[in-house]
Amino acid sequence: MPTLTIDDQQVTVDQGTTILEAAKKLGIAIPHFCYHPRLTKVDACRMCLVEVKDAPKLVTSCSNAVRDNMVVFTGTPKVEEARKSILEFILINHPLDCPICDKAGECTLQDYYFRYSSQPSRFKDNKVEKHKVVDLGAKMVLDSERCVVCGRCVRFCREVVGEENLGIFNRGDHSEIGTYPGKKIEHNYQGNLVDVCPVGALTAKDFRFKCRSWLLCKADTICPGCSNGCNAVVHFTLRSFNGIKGQRVFRLTPRENNDVNKIWLCDVGRWGYSFVDSIDRLTTPALKKGEDFVKGDWDTALRETASGLKTVVERYGPSAVGVIPSPHLTNEDLYALKCLFSCVLKVANIDFKLPGLDKGEGDKLLLKADRHPNTRGAELLGLSGTGLSAEAMMEKVKTGEIRALYLAGSDPVKYIGEKAEEALSRAELLIFQGTNFSASCKLAHVILPGATFVEKEGTFTNYQGRLQKINKALEPLGEALADWEIFTRLGKRLGAYPSYRCAEEVFKDMAREVAPFNGLSYQKIGPQGIKIADSSQ
Amino acid sequence: MAVAFSEKTKERFKAILAKYPEKGAALLPAMWLAQKEFSVITPEVEEYVAKLLGVPLVRVHEVLTFYTMYAAKPLGKYHLQLCTNISCTLLGAEDILEHLKDKLQIGAGETTPDKKFTLSTVECLGYCGTAPVLQVNDDFHENLTTKKVDELLAKLK
Amino acid sequence: MPEPILSRNFSKKNAHTLGVYIQGGGYEALKKALTEMKPEQIIQEVDKSGLKGRGGAGFPVGKKWSFIPKEAPKPKYLVINADEGEPGTYKDRPIMECDPHAVVEGAIITCFAVGIHWAGIYVRGEYVKSIERLEGAINEAYAKGYLGKNILETGFDLDMVVHRGAGAYICGEETGLLESFEGKKGQPRMKPPFPAIVGLFQGPTVINNVESIAAIPHIVKNGGEWFNGLGAPGIGGGVKLFPVSGHVKKPGVYELPMGTPLREIIYKHAGGIRGDKKLKAVIPGGASAPVLKPEEIDVPMEYANLAKIGSMMGSGAVIVMDEDTDLVKTLRVLMCFYAHESCGKCTPCREGTGWMAKIIKRIEKGEGESADLDTIVSIANGIRGRTLCPLGDAAVGPALSFVTKFRQEFEDYIKVGAG
Ligand SMILES: Cc1cc2nc3c(=O)[nH]c(=O)nc-3n(C[C@H](O)[C@H](O)[C@H](O)COP(=O)(O)O)c2cc1C
Ligand code: SF4
Ligand code: SF4
Ligand code: SF4
Ligand code: FES
Repeated sequence: MPTLTIDDQQVTVDQGTTILEAAKKLGIAIPHFCYHPRLTKVDACRMCLVEVKDAPKLVTSCSNAVRDNMVVFTGTPKVEEARKSILEFILINHPLDCPICDKAGECTLQDYYFRYSSQPSRFKDNKVEKHKVVDLGAKMVLDSERCVVCGRCVRFCREVVGEENLGIFNRGDHSEIGTYPGKKIEHNYQGNLVDVCPVGALTAKDFRFKCRSWLLCKADTICPGCSNGCNAVVHFTLRSFNGIKGQRVFRLTPRENNDVNKIWLCDVGRWGYSFVDSIDRLTTPALKKGEDFVKGDWDTALRETASGLKTVVERYGPSAVGVIPSPHLTNEDLYALKCLFSCVLKVANIDFKLPGLDKGEGDKLLLKADRHPNTRGAELLGLSGTGLSAEAMMEKVKTGEIRALYLAGSDPVKYIGEKAEEALSRAELLIFQGTNFSASCKLAHVILPGATFVEKEGTFTNYQGRLQKINKALEPLGEALADWEIFTRLGKRLGAYPSYRCAEEVFKDMAREVAPFNGLSYQKIGPQGIKIADSSQ
Repeated sequence: MAVAFSEKTKERFKAILAKYPEKGAALLPAMWLAQKEFSVITPEVEEYVAKLLGVPLVRVHEVLTFYTMYAAKPLGKYHLQLCTNISCTLLGAEDILEHLKDKLQIGAGETTPDKKFTLSTVECLGYCGTAPVLQVNDDFHENLTTKKVDELLAKLK
Repeated sequence: MPEPILSRNFSKKNAHTLGVYIQGGGYEALKKALTEMKPEQIIQEVDKSGLKGRGGAGFPVGKKWSFIPKEAPKPKYLVINADEGEPGTYKDRPIMECDPHAVVEGAIITCFAVGIHWAGIYVRGEYVKSIERLEGAINEAYAKGYLGKNILETGFDLDMVVHRGAGAYICGEETGLLESFEGKKGQPRMKPPFPAIVGLFQGPTVINNVESIAAIPHIVKNGGEWFNGLGAPGIGGGVKLFPVSGHVKKPGVYELPMGTPLREIIYKHAGGIRGDKKLKAVIPGGASAPVLKPEEIDVPMEYANLAKIGSMMGSGAVIVMDEDTDLVKTLRVLMCFYAHESCGKCTPCREGTGWMAKIIKRIEKGEGESADLDTIVSIANGIRGRTLCPLGDAAVGPALSFVTKFRQEFEDYIKVGAG
């Protein structure tokens, strides 16, 4: 393992490590455009030049491997002069778009220029004109004049997605990124093109002109879009502006996790967040009165629910109750649910496995056919196979053997269709707990508004059996509550139930009681998650 | 109508393919064949060539736009390519260019309305010892003078 | 005048045909190499010959061959560079047109020496006649058993292909050429890995210029020392083709000893300046070589000597400019050339060449400003040594040398405007 000196600090790294990566290990950031840790190196932008003792010229740190006893300087006048010069070159043909550029505030070029140059332009001639507002794909837009021709987007498509659909046409300072004329990028990973683009050349249609990046708060999360459990960051605001009334969540960006999503997100997941602030969000408890729902308060709704369940259990026994939880819920939610129904009410008919749950369209890269983030968690918590299957429950609801049905985030109508619709409409008591209005919700007698993944603490277990943490970034919309909290409140009314004050307390109990979670704590999970079980079969 | 090589060209293409260790390497030769057969590399031709070689369409387009000798637009019957690089300019290529523009009433990069001539300026053609030089399709006319240009154009009518 | 070697067939009738080539002693070297010599011996002879790459970089040919690993997981390749795009250079074309068998023979010997079984020659798209002649020679060689399987019954196999370029100067750069050969844009590759290790189709690859390869049969036939001795005394390195153009009385390709003084080439061989005018400037090694002033032309035309005075040997193309030459226009031509030919892959060259071209065009139009010259110098310094491939530096050579050596002329232009 070679040992080298970078800016007077010694570091030992693996054979083959580049200077740039070795410097990163020391916390020394070397500016770069074309280098991307997950893509092949091309040595093109020349932004990463550094001085190596005894080398005749500056060398590109992104591509040159370290040697034993190498002495590297990353901040000499020569290096600084080179950076200034490269930045000046990039800017001569770059438009002065910063004030209206979506990348402003998080643009590498802007940041570097501010940091390494900050000089007025000496360019007096005409800039090269290129295409602007090119509709490159369903999800993003290209502004060629802002492009620094780093080629990252091209390599992303080719190397990560495995499609050669972007190219660089022409040559010299007329070089321009593009798809074959008339064609569009169609893959499910377009958002990553926006991420890998160091500048505002590629911007997401979903985010364009909506919000200045620096006004957004960030929190670590897990994409709830499928069972892959991609690590993500949610960008949100605590108040709305720009006339985008009510929008609090503005985007999801990937968070690096080598074992899960590398540093990518799929478009389905990335842009699946809109349900959080959509107009069909359930924001207050409601009760069915005749054909209509009437807004109620938690007290009334919980009282109705509790007494309804109690009556059914007392009169017809626990087998007259069915519970269908959704693997959208967190482990904490599901554990709290299990405690309530299985321990307190002795209900055996609990099954999350609605037929077709895992029949979405997946792909080879990240997206899984199972569009639920916590299926593996639901399995590990034993929320299936203890009583009737979800499908069988439908039959029994129809025949009247099951009188009360509790839908915890699940939407049987979506998966089973008419048959479910018929069954649900015959239920004596149908409780719907969830985040958004749905076909199943429509038939409910009581609606309990739940919190979305950005509005609560908790954990998901992805398909690999990796336990990962989500964080509360925002308060639940309206009067919605985290699902575990709803169960806690209900539990209080139905018998001896722990008075959980936070998700972590639920987790602690779960860690004590459920084998795969034994000995774990939120701290132990950490930002990268922890593997607690095998993949599901 | 979809474009396709003639049987003869298909044979030639097959022979070319056989010479290369990797199929994709035959892209430039295939585009030369295509240009000869169809005169212009239209989008249909690009698609045809891409399919023929199993290379991504976008790569064909990169190649088409990178190299100067493939014609993405129709050229005149005679493609007049005047070298305006250093040795030719030292010996009067600019006068020849003005003369050609005058005679043909078009600018560099343009084609006469009768589609007979396309005039281009090109980089060094490797005939510096007999500058200035004009390439007309595949023939080279060296030691040019305006008089020689006149004679040449008369012949090409 | 000694017997011409490289150019011996330039004016001989039908020398491009196999029969005439053989009559002149052709393919004797091949027989000697394949039947009497070991591959290592051939490399040794080439080493001794002092032959340096004739494509521009001047890297010793024997040494380059010795970098090729003996055992490699992928097949090895020979690629002959016949892209001849450096302005002022027109020496490889006569070899291919008049002496194509020399290239084929040289290629076979090279491949035998290095253990290669597939050779490609990359010819610039405009050289239609060269391509015809090479293809003709290759076909004749196949028919005669010099190419193909079991060459001269020695068990050695070799296939050879002519690959036509399509108009891009950068394809003369060896890694750009490899990309182009593989059916892509001719954008240079990152180095390392060097082509000797990872080249064409990922295999170890020798890349040599046409003139380098055409010299091989002579070296094998007469010995490395003999070739080396053909160079100027104390300099060696054999003979070389010098293409001379511009304002001389007798432009042409001259075969002369390495180290022949530039003055002698201009005034003796090329007959001096047209109209007996005064010399103003001369580019000694193709457009990319920094320009020389008249007081610098006693320099011997040889790599180290030219480097010593801040220029370079390049392709050996001598471009002569007389006293009436408009240097602003000349530099504009060159800068537009580099801007047009920059492949666009790396930042300093992509942006810098275009910027320099724009400034010099503006100066030529009479709209220059006094700061422009310093800006050109600083752009050039911003490109120099920082690009992915040598094209960036190639543009810097003329830019810096013209503007610094002839600064007054540029300043006058800016002050008074054009003309
Ligand atoms: C921009 C550029 C253009 C070049 N053009 C040519 C060329 O046209 N022909 C050539 O033989 N070498 C050319 N070279 C040099 C090649 O990169 C390479 O050094 C050469 O082909 C090696 O062969 P040699 O060692 O026999 O000279 C060029 C280099 C650069 C940087
Ligand atoms: S669009 Fe962005 S990622 Fe793509 S080449 Fe341009 S700057 Fe790089
Ligand atoms: S692959 Fe799944 S988890 Fe990852 S971003 Fe897409 S939907 Fe979300
Ligand atoms: S120096 Fe110029 S030609 Fe060479 S790689 Fe960079 S942009 Fe391309
Ligand atoms: S980051 Fe090193 S050359 Fe671009």
